[in-house]
Amino acid sequence: MGMLRIISHRGDDRLLWNEQDARAGDAEAMAALREVERIFAQERARGATAFRVEAGKPVERLGQFDPQASQIIMVPRVVGG
Amino acid sequence: MKVDTLVYVLLAIMVCVSLVLFWWFNSSAERRARQLLRAVLTEDQYRQLFQRGYLDIASPSDPQRFYRVPRAHGRVHLIENKILQASLCLQPLDWVPDADYVVIHKLMIEADEQTYLLKANRIVPINASRRIV
Repeated sequence: MGMLRIISHRGDDRLLWNEQDARAGDAEAMAALREVERIFAQERARGATAFRVEAGKPVERLGQFDPQASQIIMVPRVVGG
Repeated sequence: MKVDTLVYVLLAIMVCVSLVLFWWFNSSAERRARQLLRAVLTEDQYRQLFQRGYLDIASPSDPQRFYRVPRAHGRVHLIENKILQASLCLQPLDWVPDADYVVIHKLMIEADEQTYLLKANRIVPINASRRIV
């Protein structure tokens, strides 16, 4: 089970997907995965940065969506203040 | 009841409802942001943040360097060898709750320190006593 968390003025929006079910051909899981990928790409296009955050591992910047990640956090575009 | 009185009453009700909605929306966002912060920080980091009001994040590239991130929006201190080297200002384009602000700095510093330093505006202190630790 993976979770995409997008930081915003609402706190964070959370989207879940199940890669194993999607790989097994579950239509609902495949649709959920496609939707998460679409939103990931949309946020990246808006300037957001994605990080893979997993317990016990160093934080890693992600260039593209990884369906095997257990948690991805997207940070909105930042600028020097 | 006169029409103008009715208008005033309706306006007052609308203002009250707006204030309640604004408060509810903000507290909901803050609560979600705190949940994310709790999930991202270790127990020690979380305790430090709420006891001292800041979070120290070690530089991944330099063992003598760390970043002091305030609990609320504000400048991040870049400290090397216990001496303040600069104050850094970097913020999201959109408003985010305070707890998310800490998460953003932590993730960027730990995963992509060079980009973080490139993007942040840097304010270098002038000769004052800079030993702060």
